[in-house]
Amino acid sequence: MASVLWFQGGACSGNTMSFLNADEPNVVDLIVDFGLDLIWHPSLGLELGKNAQKLFWDCAKGDRPLDVFVFEGSVIEAPNGTGRMDMFADRPMKDWVTDLAAQAGIVVAIGDCACWGGIPAMEPNPSSSTGLQFHKRNKGGFLGPNFTSKAGLPVINIPGCPAHPDWITQILVALATGRTSDIALDELQRPETFFKTFTQTGCTRVQFYEYKQSTMSFGEGTRTGCLFYEFGCRGPMTHSPCNRILWNRQSSKTRAGQPCYGCTEPEFPHFDLAPGTLFKTQKVAGVIPKETGTGTKKLSYMAAAAAARLAAPDWSKEDMFVV
Amino acid sequence: MTSLDLHVSPLGRVEGDLDVRVTIEDGVVSSAWTEAAMFRGFEIILRGKDPQAGLIVTPRICGICGGSHLYKSAYALDTAWRTTMPDNATLVRNIAQGCETLQSIPRYYYALFAIDFTNKNYAGSPMYDEAVRRYAPYVGTSYQKGVVLSQKPVEVYAIFGGQWPHSSFMVPGGVMGAPTLSDVTRSIAILENWKDNWLESDLLGGSVDRWLENKTWSDVLAWMDESESHYNSDIGFLIRYSLDVGLDKYGKGVGNYISTGTYFDPSLYRNPTIDGRNKALIGRGGVFADGQWFEFDQANVREDVSHSFYQGSRPLHPFEGETIPIDPEKAKAQGKYSWAKSPRYEVGDLGAIPLETGPLARRMAAAAPNAAPHQDADPLFLDIYNTIGPSVMVRQLARLHEAPKYYKWVRGWLDQINLKESFYSKPTEYAEGRGFGSTEAARGSLSDWIVIEDSKIKNYQVVTPTAWNIGPRDSADVLGPMETAFVGSPIVDPEDPVELGHVARSFDSCLVCTVHAYDGKTGRELSKFVINGMV
Repeated sequence: MASVLWFQGGACSGNTMSFLNADEPNVVDLIVDFGLDLIWHPSLGLELGKNAQKLFWDCAKGDRPLDVFVFEGSVIEAPNGTGRMDMFADRPMKDWVTDLAAQAGIVVAIGDCACWGGIPAMEPNPSSSTGLQFHKRNKGGFLGPNFTSKAGLPVINIPGCPAHPDWITQILVALATGRTSDIALDELQRPETFFKTFTQTGCTRVQFYEYKQSTMSFGEGTRTGCLFYEFGCRGPMTHSPCNRILWNRQSSKTRAGQPCYGCTEPEFPHFDLAPGTLFKTQKVAGVIPKETGTGTKKLSYMAAAAAARLAAPDWSKEDMFVV
Repeated sequence: MTSLDLHVSPLGRVEGDLDVRVTIEDGVVSSAWTEAAMFRGFEIILRGKDPQAGLIVTPRICGICGGSHLYKSAYALDTAWRTTMPDNATLVRNIAQGCETLQSIPRYYYALFAIDFTNKNYAGSPMYDEAVRRYAPYVGTSYQKGVVLSQKPVEVYAIFGGQWPHSSFMVPGGVMGAPTLSDVTRSIAILENWKDNWLESDLLGGSVDRWLENKTWSDVLAWMDESESHYNSDIGFLIRYSLDVGLDKYGKGVGNYISTGTYFDPSLYRNPTIDGRNKALIGRGGVFADGQWFEFDQANVREDVSHSFYQGSRPLHPFEGETIPIDPEKAKAQGKYSWAKSPRYEVGDLGAIPLETGPLARRMAAAAPNAAPHQDADPLFLDIYNTIGPSVMVRQLARLHEAPKYYKWVRGWLDQINLKESFYSKPTEYAEGRGFGSTEAARGSLSDWIVIEDSKIKNYQVVTPTAWNIGPRDSADVLGPMETAFVGSPIVDPEDPVELGHVARSFDSCLVCTVHAYDGKTGRELSKFVINGMV
């Protein structure tokens, strides 16, 4: 099956940690059942034999076939374009990225940092971090807008901070079981099967959203209501399957009373975490949300909201997620 | 020193974020340098942001300890904003922090540490075949079970925090959610299942309570001989194999320790303050230096950058801390060699000294006299320290010892949650303030210092366990704790110095690290191999 080389640049290892939470398949299944040939990964034990650095060079020169190059973390270009703020195997990591991306059949960016720069690229971006093929929403990034891998594909972006393990393991299994052609990408090069839906799709609070009933407080206040109106929840504007494919098989942020931060979109962290923007819905005239659900028009939103409030049944004003 | 042949040990992975250089003379390590090789600048990013930005940003410093980052950044804000903390919120935070550590113990132990037991240098051990059967990557019986089941404790985290890693559900004044009945019962069931199917069945080969009765090293040895299942357990194997291949003989380290402590008694931390912190701790903090215990005081922490790639002329307390990076190429000319700063701690007459942090440091703090009734009082590792001395083996044993201990604590906190009571108390968001928050991540003390001015972050400094342990030399050229731990290690085969791997990994530094070994007399590079890590 596919040979995979997984490198980390300006990374926190969160995507790796998330990957290790995978089940069906878990990491052992991927290797034992699906024959995944994990050539090297920074955190996982491998029987490599001698001279692993030679292995990198073999992949980088094309002497050893590399099916999938997975990159986690931002590409660090500072200081002054030298990449010396992230050295790996005796050279700037960015130089490894250039060489390996050129040789790989498929290049996968896992997590926001690799997709679009992520938190390290927040202003003032001290490490001059960028993503593999995007910088924030602008196509380009480190490899440039026209990059395609040997298989003729652009970088496959698996965003999220971190990415859910299924978002990559199921893609790996798809590659292993002859379903590569079923993988369709959206305009941000994310697999549509995961990122067509909204974070709100499947949210347990969606009935409160429909009737415009707000959560008014954290803690026990989240036993009722929707987090969109007061707590800055980005579920209606964010594309992810967080409420279809649950986290750690158990829950999601919104189910657990936490607003969605929109971490599968290139703008995360939104508003650059400027003072007053955290956990607070940004409003016009103190009442109307500045941003409403993707595709909704402000005027029709307001009309629908007024009608929904009128229509709201009594239960929508009571606690639902009770002891 | 010149770089000559590259040798990668059979278990080595390649190189990464931490380069370790050592010189070897007459078969013994004579000096060491630890070089962190990557910089992202989180402390710079946080300046000028929303006061609560640390709740989002600092977990992303390290996805391995993301929950610990969240925990201490929330307490930094609690102290700055003088919040009121409902008992349930303290309990839920404790549970989440505890579950992250319960996840980390087996994940680290099997995926990163125990695989070295299968190194060919140990092929002469009568237990070698068994070591390979259990710990070989991906196929070892203990490896498979331990690594896969490590995901279970963080399922409990997800029930309360939505997901692991990278939740931001702890906020000043409490936690964002409020669990339902089945959230608590399912959490209990997950933990019980994990206890039955790994903790007691594989790690201990017996009951949690029986293991926790061990108070001395001779108790531990007697425990091993008490039953075949104890003897054959993974903890039993660690002890027997370590004694056989000599992991009890080296990797001593500085012998001085710091723990800032973690987990609060809800009734004692309803109004979190910096000064009230020590008394409210369940897992005690403390400094053990030169054979004496000292109360931990954040005011005594300093960061030295004399050998780090930053500008700065003198050690600073984190409230006054600076992070001004310089190009490594230019910095190297000034004798600097790492992106890590060197945390030091002022201990009376001893001055500002390097301290080891991590499970062993926590165990030393837990052995201090005068524990209050709610506090961890655990003499085991003081006895081990006094009887056989610290080593690679003892550092590992301390880590594994925490699995049954924290399991018990988390179970107890789950029982204490009062579902009908509050989980959050809305704070006043003061425009000005200073806060300090700290915790014990799986791999050691992790602390934030925040200065808020004009409703935004004026300064934010984070001191990580990895910095405590792998930080470089200070202005007095005193080696950091991991550097010190390498010195004196015997190297049986200079072409494959697995001993260095054990020392480096025993600190669980959360960095991929490369070890370069040089001949101390000729400067010839003997070998270079990689130890994989978790960043």
